[in-house]
This record gives sequence, structure tokens and C-alpha cells, in this order.
Amino acid sequence: MAPIGVDEWVARSGDRREQNSGWRGLLARLDSRVGWWPRLVLVGLFALVYGKLLVGSNINYAQTGFNVVLYAILALGLNIVVGWAGLLDLGYIAFFGAGAYIYALFSSHAFGNLPLSTGGVQLPVVATIPIAVVGVGILGLVIGLVALRLSGDYLAIVTLFVGQAFAEAVNNVAPGTLGGANGLFGLKGFHVGSAMIGSTLGYYWFAVIVLLILMAFLHLLDTSRTGRAWRALRDDPLAAEVMTIPVNKVKVMAFTFGAIVAALAGTMFAAQQSSVFSTNFSAQTLILIYACLVLGGAGSIAGAVLGGVVVTVSQQLLSSPIDSAYLFYGILVIVLVARVRPWRHLAAVVAAIVGFGFGVHAIVGAISHRAIAGSPGSSGWFAGALRHFVIVPAGSPLTYGNLLYVAMICMIIGVVQLKGIRRLVAVVPTVYVAICCWEARLTLDPGITAQIMIGAILIVTMAARPEGLLGTRRVEVL
Amino acid sequence: MGGGGAFSVACTAQMQIFIQTLVTGIVTGCLYALIALGYSMVYGVLKLLNFAHGDLYMVGAFIGYFAIQWFGGATALIIPVPLLIIFMMVVAGLGVGALGVAIERFAYRPLRNAPRIAPLITALGISFILEDSVLLLFGGFTRNYNAPAFLPFRQSIHIDGVNIWSVQIIVVVVSVVMMFGLRELVNRTLFGKSMRAVASDREAAEMLGVNVDRTIAMTFFIGSAMAGVAGVMSGLAFGQISNIIGFLAGLKAFTAAVVGGIGSIPGAMIGGLVIGLCESFSSSYISSQYSDLIVFALLIATMLVRPQGVFGQPPLQKV
Amino acid sequence: MAPLLELDQVSLSFGGLRALHSLDMHVDENEIVSVIGPNGAGKTTLFNVITGIYQPAGDIRFDGKSLIGRSPHRITGMGVARTFQSLRLFLNMTVKENVKAATYGGTRATPIESMLRLPRARREEREVEARAEDVLGFFGQRLQGYRFDQPAYVLSYANRRRLEIARAMATGARMLLLDEPAAGMNPPEKLALRELIRGLRERFDVTILLIEHHMDVESELCDIVTVLDNGKVIAEGKPAEISRDPKVIVAYLGSGGGAGEAAEPLLAGLE
Ligand SMILES: Nc1ncnc2c1ncn2[C@@H]1O[C@H](COP(=O)(O)OP(=O)(O)OP(=O)(O)O)[C@@H](O)[C@H]1O
Ligand SMILES: [Mg+2]
Repeated sequence: MAPIGVDEWVARSGDRREQNSGWRGLLARLDSRVGWWPRLVLVGLFALVYGKLLVGSNINYAQTGFNVVLYAILALGLNIVVGWAGLLDLGYIAFFGAGAYIYALFSSHAFGNLPLSTGGVQLPVVATIPIAVVGVGILGLVIGLVALRLSGDYLAIVTLFVGQAFAEAVNNVAPGTLGGANGLFGLKGFHVGSAMIGSTLGYYWFAVIVLLILMAFLHLLDTSRTGRAWRALRDDPLAAEVMTIPVNKVKVMAFTFGAIVAALAGTMFAAQQSSVFSTNFSAQTLILIYACLVLGGAGSIAGAVLGGVVVTVSQQLLSSPIDSAYLFYGILVIVLVARVRPWRHLAAVVAAIVGFGFGVHAIVGAISHRAIAGSPGSSGWFAGALRHFVIVPAGSPLTYGNLLYVAMICMIIGVVQLKGIRRLVAVVPTVYVAICCWEARLTLDPGITAQIMIGAILIVTMAARPEGLLGTRRVEVL
Repeated sequence: MGGGGAFSVACTAQMQIFIQTLVTGIVTGCLYALIALGYSMVYGVLKLLNFAHGDLYMVGAFIGYFAIQWFGGATALIIPVPLLIIFMMVVAGLGVGALGVAIERFAYRPLRNAPRIAPLITALGISFILEDSVLLLFGGFTRNYNAPAFLPFRQSIHIDGVNIWSVQIIVVVVSVVMMFGLRELVNRTLFGKSMRAVASDREAAEMLGVNVDRTIAMTFFIGSAMAGVAGVMSGLAFGQISNIIGFLAGLKAFTAAVVGGIGSIPGAMIGGLVIGLCESFSSSYISSQYSDLIVFALLIATMLVRPQGVFGQPPLQKV
Repeated sequence: MAPLLELDQVSLSFGGLRALHSLDMHVDENEIVSVIGPNGAGKTTLFNVITGIYQPAGDIRFDGKSLIGRSPHRITGMGVARTFQSLRLFLNMTVKENVKAATYGGTRATPIESMLRLPRARREEREVEARAEDVLGFFGQRLQGYRFDQPAYVLSYANRRRLEIARAMATGARMLLLDEPAAGMNPPEKLALRELIRGLRERFDVTILLIEHHMDVESELCDIVTVLDNGKVIAEGKPAEISRDPKVIVAYLGSGGGAGEAAEPLLAGLE
């Protein structure tokens, strides 16, 4: 009887998709309407406009732009292995790292193993990139061959160890050449003869061109026999094998292609940063790349690129106080608008939050003036608007903020468990506590907050839309 | 005669190092085994790689640390030491157990029927949040239990030049008791039966009247509680704790679970011991730098030779 | 004429369980052969050893070449395609892509050629497209037009079975193994299936080996019925003979005597 159940479920999931309204539905419809070449041109135009208009003014913008494109490329590579072939590769970071280290070896004094002023090899970019790509491609091939014995979660674990082992290895093995914990620095940038990319903006343009070419190639690959074989493999490896697809070969191919893309990204990363450290290739970076892919939608080229944009830009925003406030309140508004329906409920909740806040502020102020004497952590006009809303004690003590943080987590967990009108009521103090916590604590440690937000984004995405922004909903029958 | 004496002294010195290494290995191994059990149980019932499990162990270690501070700090305790140790373990066990249940309820339960990758990514997200929340709340510096201050090395057992610290005995005894308790629980009680039923087929178990939600919650509670206790004991035995100790410990514990065969309780114990011994022997006889690498290599080798682990059953695939 | 498929003393055990026991069997070119047998007789296992999923003892020859030791994708590439008892479609791919995916073995373009859309890749892509539409077209309106771009998971159960057959045909099969194609179908659908199988042979010139649980409407079109029990062939012959074979009746009803009358409903649909 199972098939009938599956059918029913599937039919309903189809309905759910049809019903998708609001901005997510709009996004999905846009995604299905806009054709392939227009999409590529769109990305190109956007990159061009960004590069031309904004970049001239501020070095940070160029860096952000480069990071966005870098992560988009990394997510594209990961998409081959995870999104298409369905191989859960948690060692992807090793390919990125290996690409960067190979570039570094051939662009520094590392091989000279001498004081910084002498020795070493500094090959031109037309040599370093091919060396890195071929080297890492072979590494991907080997790891892919090894991975053939494993499937599913076991593959995930072993590759996770491969990734960890890479960081351990470059940290400990041959410190004279690989630099150990000090890494390799003072790398020469991309150069051919006397021409050399000297600025972050230059690397931005280089990365954009690589991204566009990659997007085109990957799209053509996706719609070819190889792409179909990968996707068939993901759905049902045994059926794929019986339908003339050499599953082992195709798996190794996915690993190799993913590795090559990661290696490309690695060379650009190393050249732009002009240094490499083993800490650049930690599990944290891996999770960031996964966040890009998963948020954008595994299996979709446009999704991977969009994910790269969203995650990197959020990270960047979180590092500046005023921008992070925009991000925080923006997300708050989006969540409220998306989750609280209909509109009159939304209006009531927002009004209640405002009233609740000013009310609590007034009461606490009447009891103790010191308890509200602190100023909100946000700068700019937010600070002014929120001065009489949030409760921040004089000097904004950490203990207070920490308590708020714990309270906020508990309340969020509580709200999720509640249903109906109770949830609506509970949302009001929760949002208020979240705002207070943001102003009193989270803005003080932007680095940590950024990490927490990435974690939260992953959890929320998985709960609300496991297929990501541009992914298609999948069925899995075990 | 003289030559013979010198020889025997040299031999004992080597023996001492050997036994000391062995003891360290067993202690570490017991801790890994405790964490591995939780990993393995959760994997058994949900088929979920709970990457956040190692971070629960870290939270347990922090709870123990704050318990010591609460009672006056390591050098000025205001309650008897045995009571303190029991208190730390109970509080860490209950607290981390509750945290585990909350995580399951909040993050994993909505994803029971989602594609396999979804809970995995969520687990990574939870791991991020736990690590960084502790960083936010308590700072990133390393803290020290300073256990020798209240459990002095003087109270060690000295046998023939080998010192076995009382804490090491506590770790081994508590671990063994917990593991046997768990085995009895799984084999003898109704909960154990439900757990095994859910592990082998969740839907069928549900139809037969097993309360799946409660069984899974209970599994998370027990698994997390053991990780919490392991955290306290590692703080006692090794002293240093920080917000990042969870990831690597979790990884190695998972190695233990995998080496032993995931889903198998004796497997997790033996796997833990193997990893612990491997680590301590490789760091005292080969190089402490490479000990992690050696453990990783061991894992990869085991998985390649026997993908289902040493004690695990190969999965049945019917066509 | 040498048989197209020949099994020679094929045996396979799972642990202690003998699923196939010194099996001899052959299928001639252009025949339709039906394998029947009670639950657990080893029918599906037979398909699994032919298609290379399990490695048996003994020898299996297709078109004179041994299949032993070859991996499934090679065996299918040689022209032996199959469907699965519990459907195994690529559920998240579109109907057309399901069929196109099965042409992998028949095409040669490397990834580089595909990425650059070099001439060979383009030509093959055109051929694959035509092949997919041709194969799907055989099933009439059900798998055509707007269906092409629907994901396979929206299809109904019967259409999924059809798509599986289409996918198997797209591999360029000379011999088609159908594992209980009629499972879960109602009588009118079974009748339609009979016509479909007959049509397959005429249209694509394939030899067909199909599994049924017991003799049913579609047995009528078979040239030969082979009865399997406990991994052994216990009877072989024309459908009409088989339905009266006492050994077959015993196999279905156990060794209790006088089961003749009771066997009738089991073997119904023939007379
Ligand atoms: N992978 C396997 N491992 C162990 N035993 C197996 C395996 N596959 C099949 N078997 C056993 O081999 C025997 C034959 O199974 P098979 O699936 O071939 O039967 P069948 O004739 O197709 O039955 P049905 O009519 O139910 O489809 C059964 O006893 C089955 O349990
Ligand atoms: Mg069968």
C-alpha cells in the first residue's frame, strides 16, 4: 500500500507548490520564467554595475564584491557534488585549501625555504592556475575513488575527516615549506610577464569573469548526459547503474569537477589575500559554503550564486554596527510579515510590541532610573528611535545582556511550540526581548553575532524551506 | 649483577611510561565512549548525524565548572568533595539532557520527514549556535577546573612507580557504571524495547502503539546527559575547557561510534577505548602533533576496510 | 538458432538461504517468456543475477557472450534492460529526463565536449531527444506533451510503471525484463498492459521476459511459461500445459493432496 500513500503525499506536495504565494512564490515563478541566457546577462550586468558604480569609492566594497563572487564560485563547485550528484562531501574545504596552498607554494619563497628575501618560485598565473587545478583535480580523483566504498552518512563522516586532516596536515607537516601555523604570506599576485593584478578590484573583475564562464559551462553540463547521470545517481544509484550509467565513474567525476572548481577559487583567494593560513580552511568556512548552497537551493546554479550573495553580504553587513541593525530589523520585519497572517493580526502584533515596549520602559524607568540609563548599541537614527523603547541599564552590563540572550532563546523555543492565538500573544514579549538583547548585548560582539546568525539562518532555512530560495522541492522515497 | 640491575631499572622506567600511557588512554577512551554512545543512540533512532552532540559535551563541562565556582572555587570549596562531584554530574546530566531534548523538540522534530540533508545542516547550525552562544556568554578564554586543588595527586594510588590519580579512577568507574546501566536499560526495560523498535522501523513502531515522540525525546535525554557527565569528567581529568572543545571531541567520539559500528553499544565502548588508546599511545610514542592525524587516518582506514564498522551489521538492500 | 539468453546451472545463496538452485533456462529471440512462482520463489533474484546486481555461480550468456563478472551498466549496455518490482524511477527528474538519462551508455560525448557543445555533443543531444520522444510516444497521450517536463513524482502509479518501461527501452534494449508489470493494476488496466507488451515486441523487436505472481491475463500472450519454486525451475511449457501441471499446483498450495479444485482460482484467467 505504500505506493498509494506516496502518491497522495506527492500530490499534496505538488498542490502546496502551486499555492506558493507571496515573495517566495514570486521568486520561484521568476526563477522558472527567466531563461538561461538572460539570466547570465543579468548576473553579468549586475556585477558590471556594482563594479563600476560602487567600487571606486571604497576598498571595502571591492572586498565584499570579491568575497561574494568567491563564495558563489565555491557554492557552484559544491553544488556539483552535493546538489547534483547527491554525495554529501564534508571535505570540500580541503580542495579549496589545497588550491590555495598550491598557488601559494608556486608564488612565494616557500620552496626556497630561506629568509624572505631570497629563493622560491614565482610562476606566472598561466602556470599556477593549471598546476593548482590539475593537482587538486587529481586529489579529487583519489578521494573520489576512496569514497566509492562509502555511501550516505559514512561518506559524510570520512570526508569530514579528510577536511579536518587537511587543516591538521598543513599546520604540522613540513613547517619549513608550508609555514605551519604562520601560514605562507607575501605571495605574488596573478601576473603574466610584467602585467599583474594589483588591486582587489582587479581580482573582483577576474572572479566575475570566472563566475560567468563557470555558470555557462555548468549549465551546459547540467543539461548534458553527464548532468543527467549525476542527477539520476542522486535519485537512485542502483537504478542509475542498471540504466547504463557507470555510477562509480560518474561519482568520481563529480568529485573531480567539484575539486577543480574549488581549486580555482582557492587560487583566487590566495592571490587576493596574498597569504594563506590553515585557519582559512576550517570547518567554519565549510559551513559557510554549505550555508550559501543550502540557502540558495541545492541543485540550482542560480541558487548557488544567490546563496553566495546573501550569505556573504549578510556577513559583511554584520560587521558594521549600522548595517547590522538594518539587517537585524529587516529580518525581524520579514519574519513577522511572513509568519503573522492576516494583516490585521500583523498590525495588532506590531502595535502591541510598540505599546509593550514603551510601557515596560516607562514602568522600569519609574522604578529605577539607572536601569534605563544606558544607550542602545545601534548607532545612527536607530539609537534615537529606540532610546525610549529598549531597556539598557547604565553602562550596559554584560550580565544583563547575557540573561536577556538566554531569555530570548528560551522564549523563541517556547513561541515555536505554541499555536494559534497564544503564539500571537507570546510573540510580543519575545520580539521585545530580542530587540533589547540585540541593543544591549549582540551589537557589542559583532563577530560572534555573525556566527550565531549564520547558525540561525541555517536552522530557519531548513525548517521553513529545506529546498532553499531557488531550489525545487524534492521527494525522497527510501 | 650490576648490569642486570641497571637493565631491570630501565625496563621498569619503560614499563612505567607504558602503563601511564595506557591509563591515560583508558580514561580518554571512556570519555569518548560516553559521548559516542549518545551519538550512536541518536543515529540509531533518527538516522541523524547529530553534529551538535560534541557541543553538548562542552556545555556539560561548563556547567561543571560553574558548579565549582558556585561552591567557592577550586581552592576554597565550601562543601565536601564527593558531594561536589556528585552534584556536578547530576546537574550537568540533567541540564545537558534537558538541552538535548529542547534541541530535538525545536530543531529536529519538524524535520522528521524532510530530505536527509536538512537535519544534517540543522545540526551544523545548532553546533554553530551552541559554540558561539557560550563564546558570547562566557568569553573565549580557556578556563581551568583546577581539580588537583581539591582532589590532590597525593591521593593517587602508587603502584610500583605508576601513579593512578583518584580522578582517573572516578572517570573509569562512572563510565563503566553508566555504560552497563545503559545496556540494562536498552535490553531490559520497556523504553529500551521502544527504542529498538523505533530504531529498526519508526513507522511500524508507531503503528504498534509505541510513543515515538517520547521515545526519541528520551533517547536524546539519555544521550545528551551522558555527554554532559562526560564533559564534567573531562574537566576534572584534563582541566582545561573552552567553547571549542566540543567539535573535535565530538568528531573523535563519532569516530569511536563508527569504528565500533554505529548503533551498537558495546561497539561504542570498544571504539571509544580504541580511539583513546590510539591517541595516547601515538602522542607519547610518536608525536603529539600528529596524534589527531593518526586518529583520523585510523578512522578513514577502518571505514574503508569495513564501512559498517567493526561490530556493525552491513545494511540490507533489497532490490 | 542459439537462444538469445541462456542460463547454465546458475546458483546463488544469501547466507544459508539458497535463492537460486542450479537453474537452467533459455529464452529465444523474439519470444515472450513468463516466469511465475509463489512469493520468495526467487523470481526477482533471477532478474538481479541476469542484470549483474548479484554475482551467481554458473554461467549466463546473452547473445553468446557471458554476462558473469560484468557490472550492471555494461550488461544493460549489451542490450538487457529491466524494470523493478518496487518502482525505481528518478523521481525528481522530469519524465523526459528519466528517459534521456537511460541513454547514457549509448552516447559518448565527454563533459568537455558537452560544456563547449562541440559537434558530437550536439548531434548526440539531438538523437537523444528524438529517441526519448519516440519511446515516450509509444505510450500515447499519457506520457506526452505537457507531461514531458513534469517531474516523475507527479505521475500516477500506472504511469510510473509505463515510464519505467519507456526508460528501459531507451537504453536500446534487445531484451526487456519486466518485474511484475501488472502489480497493482485492475483488470481493464491489465488488458491494456497485454496489448502494450504485444505492441512492444512488434514495434521495437524486443525479446521479453516477464515476471508474474501467478498466471493471469497477460500469460495469454506468452510463448513459454516457466514456473519457479524455491529457486528451481519446476515446470516449463506452453501456458495451457502449465496451468494443468500437478507440480505447479502443489507448489502453489503446498503438498496437501487433492488440491486440484482449489487450484483453479489461482490459475484463473486462462480458461
Ligand atoms: N538481498 C537479499 N538478502 C537476503 N535474502 C534475500 C535478498 N534478496 C532476496 N532474498 C531472499 O531470496 C528469496 C527469493 O527472493 P525474491 O525477491 O527473488 O522472490 P520473488 O520470487 O521475487 O518473490 P515476490 O513474488 O515476493 O516478488 C526470498 O526468500 C528472499 O527473502
Ligand atoms: Mg519479486
